Amino acid sequence: MSHHHGALSVEGLHVAYGEAQVLFDVHLTVPPGGLVACVGRNGAGKTTLLRTIAGFLRPRAGQVRYGDVDLVGRKPYELARMGIRYVQQDKRVFADLTVRENLRLASSATGDWDWDAVFRYFPRLKALLDRKGGYLSGGERQMLMIGRALLGRPKVLLVDEPTEGLAPAVVEQLGGVFQELKGQATILLVEQNLPLVGRVADKVYAVKEGRVVAEITDREAIRSAAVEAYL
Amino acid sequence: MNGRLRWWAGVLVPFALLAAGRWVLPLPFVVEVLIFSVYTMACNFLLGRVGFISFGQPAYLAAGAYGTAFYLYYFGRDPLVGILVGLASGAVFSALVGLVFVRLRSDYFALVNLALAVIVYHLMQKVLAPITKGDNGLWFLDRMSSTPLLDLARPDGFVWFAWLVAVGVWALYKYLDDTVFGACCLATKTNEDKVKFLGYHDFKVRWTAFVLANTTAALAGSLYGVYFGFVSPEMASAARAADPVVVTILGGTGTLYGPLVGAVAFVGMKDLVSGVVGNWEFFVGLLLVVIMLAGERGIWGTLEPWLRRRLVWRRPAPALQE
Amino acid sequence: MDANLWVSGVVYGLSMGSIFFLLAAGLSLCFGLMRIISLDQLLYYSLGAYVAYQVNVATGLTWPAMVCGALAAGALSWVVERWVFDRIYAREITFTMITSFGILVAGVGAIKYVWGLVPRPMGIPVEAQVALLGVNVPVYRIIVIGVALAVYGLIQWVLNRTIVGTAIRAAVEDVDQVEGLGVDVYRLFTGTFVGAGMLSGLAGALHGPLVMVDPQMGLEVVPFVFMVVIIGGLGSLKGTLVSAFLVGQVVSLGSLIYAPLAQMAPFAAMLLILLWKPTGLYGSALLRR
Ligand SMILES: Nc1ncnc2c1ncn2[C@@H]1O[C@H](COP(=O)(O)OP(=O)(O)O)[C@@H](O)[C@H]1O
Ligand SMILES: [Mg+2]
Repeated sequence: MSHHHGALSVEGLHVAYGEAQVLFDVHLTVPPGGLVACVGRNGAGKTTLLRTIAGFLRPRAGQVRYGDVDLVGRKPYELARMGIRYVQQDKRVFADLTVRENLRLASSATGDWDWDAVFRYFPRLKALLDRKGGYLSGGERQMLMIGRALLGRPKVLLVDEPTEGLAPAVVEQLGGVFQELKGQATILLVEQNLPLVGRVADKVYAVKEGRVVAEITDREAIRSAAVEAYL
Repeated sequence: MNGRLRWWAGVLVPFALLAAGRWVLPLPFVVEVLIFSVYTMACNFLLGRVGFISFGQPAYLAAGAYGTAFYLYYFGRDPLVGILVGLASGAVFSALVGLVFVRLRSDYFALVNLALAVIVYHLMQKVLAPITKGDNGLWFLDRMSSTPLLDLARPDGFVWFAWLVAVGVWALYKYLDDTVFGACCLATKTNEDKVKFLGYHDFKVRWTAFVLANTTAALAGSLYGVYFGFVSPEMASAARAADPVVVTILGGTGTLYGPLVGAVAFVGMKDLVSGVVGNWEFFVGLLLVVIMLAGERGIWGTLEPWLRRRLVWRRPAPALQE
Repeated sequence: MDANLWVSGVVYGLSMGSIFFLLAAGLSLCFGLMRIISLDQLLYYSLGAYVAYQVNVATGLTWPAMVCGALAAGALSWVVERWVFDRIYAREITFTMITSFGILVAGVGAIKYVWGLVPRPMGIPVEAQVALLGVNVPVYRIIVIGVALAVYGLIQWVLNRTIVGTAIRAAVEDVDQVEGLGVDVYRLFTGTFVGAGMLSGLAGALHGPLVMVDPQMGLEVVPFVFMVVIIGGLGSLKGTLVSAFLVGQVVSLGSLIYAPLAQMAPFAAMLLILLWKPTGLYGSALLRR
């Protein structure tokens, strides 16, 4: 896995869908190799934030930087090639493609074929290589999505609610994976599962109605899920 | 009371202008604009209100025109009855076709309609050639009898009749915009589920709108038939399928004055351009692409806000926000 | 009826179906991937025929002329993609459809301007006949069928066996996701569009010797191509092949039974199929509206 080069920082971000503004003056920083969580109710604007960082939405105003590289205005595929990888919500893998094809596609653009690393994290995928995405369970799909992102040698991982609707055992496993990934990539994790957040995050931002309402850096507060008070 | 007055003023002012044009502009131009605006109102309603894009309008135009032509060529002489027959045949035709078409997704709808236009063309040109006289068309100008008050058989009478029809059709669509039916149409355009939620049957709303609009197109066809005293398969030609869509967009899709403004601009340009170069289609197509790329608001869509600011144009427009 | 007539009728229908398939395949692929209905494919079809005709007249060559037709069509479609479609992919389907119709109408106008209204006869590459079940059928028609089947095989191979094909299949499901994996989907779009344009051009060039090359030829095949696409289901390649041959047979065999009805019969078939399945035989109801 690659070495981290910089922090991911978002400054004064305003994002709107047409007339409806969704994010207001969002500031946040993910230190190099750190894992920062972003929590908030449904509809708070977390997905919008990640989609904007990943280049799928253009902000009205504000900046997104990785190290000292400006990310705003670049196409999503350019960002992905730079190593800014976005793991979407809803576990959307290609239903009609096999796991193998899913992974091959993920490593095509970056020319990186280091599949063993992926299988180290998710041994389960190895047995499923010829199964179609549409026939995977929720947990398997999530593994595949993260695995796909890892194949792109990510410098930054943007992960959107990975544990939503998954069995506790799988959540446990994913928690372990995130812990291992820490230090290897700069990770911004959107998550509603506060115990998991407490386990892996160095810092937590609470988002409410499109604004960052709290930044919590105290380990103890994070572990004890004190964030809940802000939601 | 005041509101009603304003309502009618909104209908009559533009048409009064056009009527005044009768003494300034060449007669064929005025007639063409009037008929074309009727034709376009149908398309404008479908596209702007119901969200149906139809490249098959020539099919319905031809349905009306041939209804009128068959009557005037084979059976009777009265052009008024001829127009009624055309109207009826258009209504029946679109009612039947609509049963299938209205269920389709918008992309399939557009394809099927264009296919229909070509089929109608083929039908009129070849299959029914024994009664349509194929490409030679049906000539019945001499067969039409004079009508009292306005003599439809003569152009200077016909122009006023066309004027009345255009005003009537236009008032109808303006009226529909304010009704529950109009609101339902708009709702089907934005969100089909919403309509069901409101308790109106989606299929019925779409079907009614479809039949109404295509009967209007058929009426335009009948008017053409009576005006020229001649109908040929050329009317259903797919090459002209773009015309009503172009005029709708040129004028400004979904706007009330759009069809009228578009028809004036289109017919005017056609007369001018075809005088200089014979190849008119090239410019229609190019124009369409340019308008689309330029933001698809059309002439009236661009002009209206400007006029409103300048003239403090009557009351604010009815809210048509989606 | 005479068995000879039936054999040649079937061959005739298959060759017609092949032309329809080449045209409809591009239309269908563009819909599946970019969610556009590219009516301008019919322009590339006409252009392919005219360029093939022109090169044929100038050089006397036939097959190379057809290749030129396909390439010219591909070149024009590339220009249109860069200048027009690239700006409007994000718009809803009616928008792109209207725009592409504008391109078609303008292009047909331009063709009339360059080549005039008079239909042009084009030389046929192979005049020979071959005996099939004791009936002489033109070799050229059999070659046309072979070309269509080869193209089908080629597209299937690309889709299922290459990484580009994998990306296309994935993008048909979800473009954003593919882009998120670092794939330049815009290049994928351009490639697919130009590929579709070339297929349309090839269809026109191959069809040239079987009909007259005239400015309306694009509009004349419109109903059939649409029927093929609709019956097969937008976005389905297999459906397109099946329905192309189906429509070809209905036209061809229908005309043996009662000529004037030949063109109406597939239309009636289409309406029936739509009543039964509103998105065609193989079309997916899941596709975004
Ligand atoms: N494509 C869209 N168009 C318009 N509004 C949207 C769109 N996507 C999300 N929204 C709105 O933006 C707000 C934030 O949504 P989202 O970012 O998905 O929230 P979260 O991920 O925190 O649940 C919501 O109110 C949602 O309705
Ligand atoms: Mg979300």
